[in-house]
Amino acid sequence: MKKFYYVLAGVAVVGIGAVGYNVGSNALGPAVSAPIELEGLDSPEALAEMAQGITRGDEDAPVTIVEFGDFQCPGCGAFALSVKPQIDLMLVQTGKVKFIFYDFPLTTIHPNAFLAARASRCAQDQDKYWEYHDVLFRNQANWSTESNATGTFLGYGEDLGVNEKDFEACVRSDKYADVVTANMELGMALGVGSTPTLLVQAGDEVRQLNGFDYRSVQEAVELVSTPGGTSPGN
Amino acid sequence: MNRMIVAVLSLVGLFVALYLFAHNLGLTGPITCGVGDCATVQASQWAKIGPIPVSSIGVLGYIALFVLSFMGIQPGRRDSAMIGGLLLAGSAGGAAFSGWLTYLEAFVINAWCQYCVISAILITLIFLASLPEIGRLRAS
Repeated sequence: MKKFYYVLAGVAVVGIGAVGYNVGSNALGPAVSAPIELEGLDSPEALAEMAQGITRGDEDAPVTIVEFGDFQCPGCGAFALSVKPQIDLMLVQTGKVKFIFYDFPLTTIHPNAFLAARASRCAQDQDKYWEYHDVLFRNQANWSTESNATGTFLGYGEDLGVNEKDFEACVRSDKYADVVTANMELGMALGVGSTPTLLVQAGDEVRQLNGFDYRSVQEAVELVSTPGGTSPGN
Repeated sequence: MNRMIVAVLSLVGLFVALYLFAHNLGLTGPITCGVGDCATVQASQWAKIGPIPVSSIGVLGYIALFVLSFMGIQPGRRDSAMIGGLLLAGSAGGAAFSGWLTYLEAFVINAWCQYCVISAILITLIFLASLPEIGRLRAS
């Protein structure tokens, strides 16, 4: 009989330890996965200061392409995997364009998008933003359906060789919740209503793109680069 | 002896079900699933019956089986037919319910959750360990 109680006690200790560890580790680090309340963003200056895009390419490039994107949006995924590589190769690496990505997670329909945006910025802390951006879009179908994608996002960081401890501490916190929220506010202030939204700008010339094939982007870049250029179809 | 086995297995099952229930309550973060696709199973419509998470039924069922079997090994209750009958009925019901959930995983959800499979194995073993209760019921 004594042995039986020892076995029961052993099972209880292991069980309480395993469940307690899982609950405790989550409680220690709740990952913020929704927009937060931000004050003082009424003025365009404050909003522009708080919102932070991630830039790729030459800072002095004559044309800027701004994308407002959502990591959980299938259209953004298709754009990221099929058109962005061409933009990068033909326009960014040639110094014609700098590309800026702003988060615009559509949180009402994409519950993991905000956390994905925050995780990507945590990857940026370790200079892995674009690698992480690509991994998120490549695996979009896998994590989109997860009820809590934190572990998956941590795994992607691990695969990319980030410092796991720092990355996890960042993801399991509220870090960059303010920046991602401000980016959303900036998008809304600019009239962004869907993703991906592309703004192609050179000086005062700005074109908003509705077509997301490479040709449309290239044409828009040429139009804004040409003084007096007209928008296709206008 | 068979009730001791049921008690140990029920306690193991209780912690498996507790882990899933804690996940359903959002207390555990991502579900760790070494084999299978727990996230798909837990996100499916079958993870709940109405507003009630299936895992909570598991928690209550395993608690009941543990309490019954533990009571059934105490002096004076070792030949209790009532406890035997309840153990047999409870484990049979649990095994049938678990069998239905396993069918859903195999043919409807098309994904496996390792914790659900472990629970199905446990409740089946509990049912098998409860079969000697038939002898007690006949003898009473």
